[in-house]
Amino acid sequence: SLTKYMEADPTLLSLGAGLPHPSTFPFAQIGAHVAPAGASVANTAPADMLNVSVTTSSGAIEGLGKFLQYGNGRGVPSYAAFTREHTHRVHDPKYVDWDTVVSLGNTDAFVKALMLFYTSGDTLLVDEWTYPAIIGTVVPMNIQLAPVRMDAEGMVPEALDHVCTNWTGERKLRMVYTIPTAQNPTGATMSIARKRAIYAVAQKHNLVIIEDDPYYYLQFEPYTADSEHRYTNLPGITSLVPSLLSLDTDGRVIRLDSFSKVLAPGLRCGWVTAPKYITDKIQFHNETSIQQPAGVSQAIVASLMNEQWGHSGWERHLVQIQRDYAMRRDLFVDL
Amino acid sequence: MSFTTSTALASKLPQAKDLSHLFVPTFRIHQKSPFKAVMGTPTLDMINMAGGVPHPSTFPLEQVQATVRAPSHAAPGRTGTLSLERTQANGSTESLNELLQYNDGRGMASYCRFLRQFTEQAHAPPYADWDVVASCGNTDSIAKAVSLFCQQGDHIIVEQYSFPGALSNLVFAKVKPVPVAMDIEGVDPVALDSLCSSWTGATPLRAIYVIPTGQNPTGATMSLARRKALYAVAQKHDLVIIEDDPYYFLQLGPMPETQDTTATDMNKLSLVPSLLSLDTDGRVIRLDSFSKILAPNLRCGWITAPAYIQDRMQILNESTILQPSGLTQGVISRLLNDTWGIEGWIEHLNAL
Repeated sequence: SLTKYMEADPTLLSLGAGLPHPSTFPFAQIGAHVAPAGASVANTAPADMLNVSVTTSSGAIEGLGKFLQYGNGRGVPSYAAFTREHTHRVHDPKYVDWDTVVSLGNTDAFVKALMLFYTSGDTLLVDEWTYPAIIGTVVPMNIQLAPVRMDAEGMVPEALDHVCTNWTGERKLRMVYTIPTAQNPTGATMSIARKRAIYAVAQKHNLVIIEDDPYYYLQFEPYTADSEHRYTNLPGITSLVPSLLSLDTDGRVIRLDSFSKVLAPGLRCGWVTAPKYITDKIQFHNETSIQQPAGVSQAIVASLMNEQWGHSGWERHLVQIQRDYAMRRDLFVDL
Repeated sequence: MSFTTSTALASKLPQAKDLSHLFVPTFRIHQKSPFKAVMGTPTLDMINMAGGVPHPSTFPLEQVQATVRAPSHAAPGRTGTLSLERTQANGSTESLNELLQYNDGRGMASYCRFLRQFTEQAHAPPYADWDVVASCGNTDSIAKAVSLFCQQGDHIIVEQYSFPGALSNLVFAKVKPVPVAMDIEGVDPVALDSLCSSWTGATPLRAIYVIPTGQNPTGATMSLARRKALYAVAQKHDLVIIEDDPYYFLQLGPMPETQDTTATDMNKLSLVPSLLSLDTDGRVIRLDSFSKILAPNLRCGWITAPAYIQDRMQILNESTILQPSGLTQGVISRLLNDTWGIEGWIEHLNAL
């Protein structure tokens, strides 16, 4: 809450927040050689690599003095703005006061979303086979899991309705956690009809939906044995199965996005999309925990996206990722 | 005080006392990491579909590089470049692909190796089985350390005036702070002893959170005598000490006759020994950060504690952040291991 005073005079050193002076940061420049959007890095000649570079001066994006300094739980503006614009392009949320906030990836984001609504003794609705690593999160928090039957498309809406209607636990069920694309561990992907049905049940029982969607972009054309005519219809961002966020008229979806599967996991960069009153709370939670994603990671991503690839390049990169994984799938299925 | 120690000495040190009776119930049982069960050991050739591990051929970065200045301001304008190549090892640092891939909740090997070496030189922990785990800064580490020993409704001892970020964490965790009186040096050990002896709260006091150097908000720095007294009281009442020490290396000491900013010897830094350096029992969880000594938004730090406590810390990391940005750890490792070296690092701290 005091940060607005810090921003008013950038030359002031705040001793209250323990801000070191940027002249003590030993980095004059941080950068990377990156493949052109849509190109394979292994097949790109060094001379064709793009030069991503962040220096102490600012231009299209902030300078290192900003990327390497304490900030707030919203992240460095050029990184945060890119994720927000991308979300708008892909999902076009149907209510007005949506917003994005940075995360360190979906495991971090999941904990934060959960802790907004749940405490010791609560029960989380999950797929009957769900992502195993969340066990490590819920057990120490004394949160139970209520499994909901799945079929080949994922969580069954009638089953979700049934569990909620027949719930006799002391505390109301308030949240459902789902991985709608390439579900871990079953691999199931929900169709748009399935998502609409799940959303309707969530509305009926007033549930918050945690949409954990790290594989969202890894959607492909259906497999064809005809190897001559593959990869002509990759979805890019225009033909993906619409997300639960894009159906969300109430503002009950907390969507978790990550760069882990589509850029690199070691960046520890992601973002959460939700109503602003929720992202504000996640911002504050960030500020009492992780602060924000690593400045080096944000700098490289912000420079790459804002100064080199742009949205069209990023979307071309996503098509390339789809092609890469579709080829691997086809190799497997061809066998 | 000499900061050097020989490895022969280290093997004669005792093992840490087993303080697992102080853990919250969940952590008393040694659990296998659920993350490890899913991820296994990452390899660069096969895709682990259980863990959703992406193939590194999809990482579009060929190389990361940084221009860095020389460690000391005595050599202004002197810069160097460090680089991280995609598929080969980079000096003692991993390849870029390894840094960009999923890794476990311990931290990158090269990063932890440097910090182990540096911690040994700076503190020479007086017990054998200590280890370091990477963190994304002390605010997050405070929350994690507290959660090992305190659950909702528990109490934790704090300095009478304490770091607002830590106090916010306690509110979140529904852990109640119990303030202990301070004087000009910090926590008053007599007051602490009296507090613990007369405690009648519903749950026992198991931990104390202190900022022994450049205390936030009072600015106090505990003398060695004060630290020893505090440690003795913690031993008497079987408390874990969470030593939050981001300003440790910024101790100014008395003004020297001449300003020697090129010293690479730890002894010249005139630092009051840390609580970790007094920790014969293994009851100190020390939180270090690069925030004040390299840059805050690197979001990198480290925790030093007994190995069995670090096993729990690893699980906590794996159910939240996984680990700090591998890329950033790689840049720091390349800088500290290969570019500046430990001498350059100490020179940098001296110049600060």
